[in-house]
Amino acid sequence: MANRLTLRQNIESLELTSSGLVAFRDAVAKMQALSADDNRSWMFLAGYHGFPQFQCWHGGRIGLNQQALTYDLFLPWHRAYLITMEHTLRDQNAAAALPWWDWTSSGSHRVGVPLAYSTRRIGKTPNPLINGPVPEVRSGRVPGLPPSPARKTTRAPGDPEDLPTADQVNSVLALTDFVDFSQQLQDIHDQVHGWTGGRNGDMGTIVFAGFDPIFFAHHCMIDRIWYLWQLRHGVQNVPPDYMNKPLAPFPLTVGDVLDIHRLGYEYAQASSSHD
Amino acid sequence: MPKAPATKSRKRVAPKKHVTTAIGTESLATGFVRADLVFDGLDHSGASFEARIFINNPDADANTEMTVQNRYAGKFHVFGHGGCFGDVGHCEVRGIPRPYDPRPAHPLTPMRKVVIATEALRREIKRSNGKGLTLTIVPIVRSGTVRCDYENVLKFDGVSVVTYA
Ligand SMILES: [Cu+2]
Repeated sequence: MANRLTLRQNIESLELTSSGLVAFRDAVAKMQALSADDNRSWMFLAGYHGFPQFQCWHGGRIGLNQQALTYDLFLPWHRAYLITMEHTLRDQNAAAALPWWDWTSSGSHRVGVPLAYSTRRIGKTPNPLINGPVPEVRSGRVPGLPPSPARKTTRAPGDPEDLPTADQVNSVLALTDFVDFSQQLQDIHDQVHGWTGGRNGDMGTIVFAGFDPIFFAHHCMIDRIWYLWQLRHGVQNVPPDYMNKPLAPFPLTVGDVLDIHRLGYEYAQASSSHD
Repeated sequence: MPKAPATKSRKRVAPKKHVTTAIGTESLATGFVRADLVFDGLDHSGASFEARIFINNPDADANTEMTVQNRYAGKFHVFGHGGCFGDVGHCEVRGIPRPYDPRPAHPLTPMRKVVIATEALRREIKRSNGKGLTLTIVPIVRSGTVRCDYENVLKFDGVSVVTYA
C-alpha cells in the first residue's frame, strides 16, 4: 500500500459513480465540512493560495542581488500545493486522488466545465465539486471593502470554444528552456482561470480561486503538462539557482518536487494528443 | 463573452486600451527564427483580463477581429489578484529587495509577459517599410471582484521587441 504510487486520472475518463470519483468526492465533502480553523479543512488549505495567506506564486519576482533577474516558482509551488491537498484528501479517504481537467479535449470544447464539476447532485447527494465554502471577510479592513459573509464559490464560465487548444499546449511543450516554458504555460493557465470564473466568479482572481474545487483539477492539468515536458526535456531541468528555493509554507524546496514519483504519484496514461 | 453573473454587480466601464509610440525596427535582425513582444512592469493586482495586440492599427478595439488583415499579432492573459483584501498597506509593493533582505519580493511586484509573435512581427516589419511598429493593446476584462478598477486594468512600464537569430 505505502509503496504504491497514487494514480491521478483524467476527470473525463471517470464515470460519475466510479469508485475513484466516489472516494474523491467523499474526501472533498469531509474537508469542506470541517471548520475553517481546522488545519485539515477545505477553507484552511484553500486559504494558502489567495485570501487570507497569499502564499501562491504567479509571475516572475525580482531575485536577490539581481535587479533585473526574475525568478518564478509558479510550477514547483503549485506542485507542492497539490501534493499537500492530495495528502489532506487521502487523510479523509485513502482512495482519493486528484483528477485532472483537460480543457483542450473535444468534450470540454463542447460542454465547458466537466460534468463531474457541474452536476448539482449525484443521486440524492449534493455534489461537493460544484462549489466550495469561503470564510467570512470581515469589515473594518481597507476602507470601502464591503464585508462579505461566509458563502460558497460561484462560476460564470465563458464559451467552451474559447478554451485553449491542444495545438497551443503542443507548441508550449516544444519549448526547450524551463523559464520560457513556464511563462508560456502560465499564460494558458491564466486564460483558463479567467474563462472559468467569468465576470464575478471566484476562479477568475487569485484572491478566492483556491476555494473552488475545480481549481485543483485545473492545476492538476498544468502539473501534468509540466510532467510531460519533463519527460521530454529532463526531470531536473530548472535553472540551478532554483533548486534550493523554498516553497513556503510547504516544507519542500524546488529540488524536492521535480520528480513526481518521489512525491508518490503518477499520471494515468491517457489517450492524449500531447504525447 | 462571459455569461451574466447570477449576482447583481455594478455597471462596468470599458477598460482603456493603450497605443504605444512607434518602436523602431532598424536594429532588428530580419533573419530571426523567433520574435517576441515583451511586456515589462505589468500590473496584475486587479481584475483578470485578456490583452489583444494589433500592430499599426491604432483604431483596433474590443470589436476588432483577430485577423491578419487587422494586423493582429497575438494576445496575453493576466490572472489578476482581484484587488486588495487586506488591511491598510497590505498591497503596497515594497519594491526591489535590498541585497540582503531575505524576504522574497512582494507578490504584487509587477510582472513580465512574453508573447511569441514570430510570424506577425516578420510580416509587419516588412509591411511597415521602416516606419516602425505602433502597438495597440486592447484589454478585455474576463473576471474580477468588487475591489477592481476595471477602467484602468491595463498598466505596464514598457514593451520591447526581442528577436532570436
Ligand atoms: Cu492557478
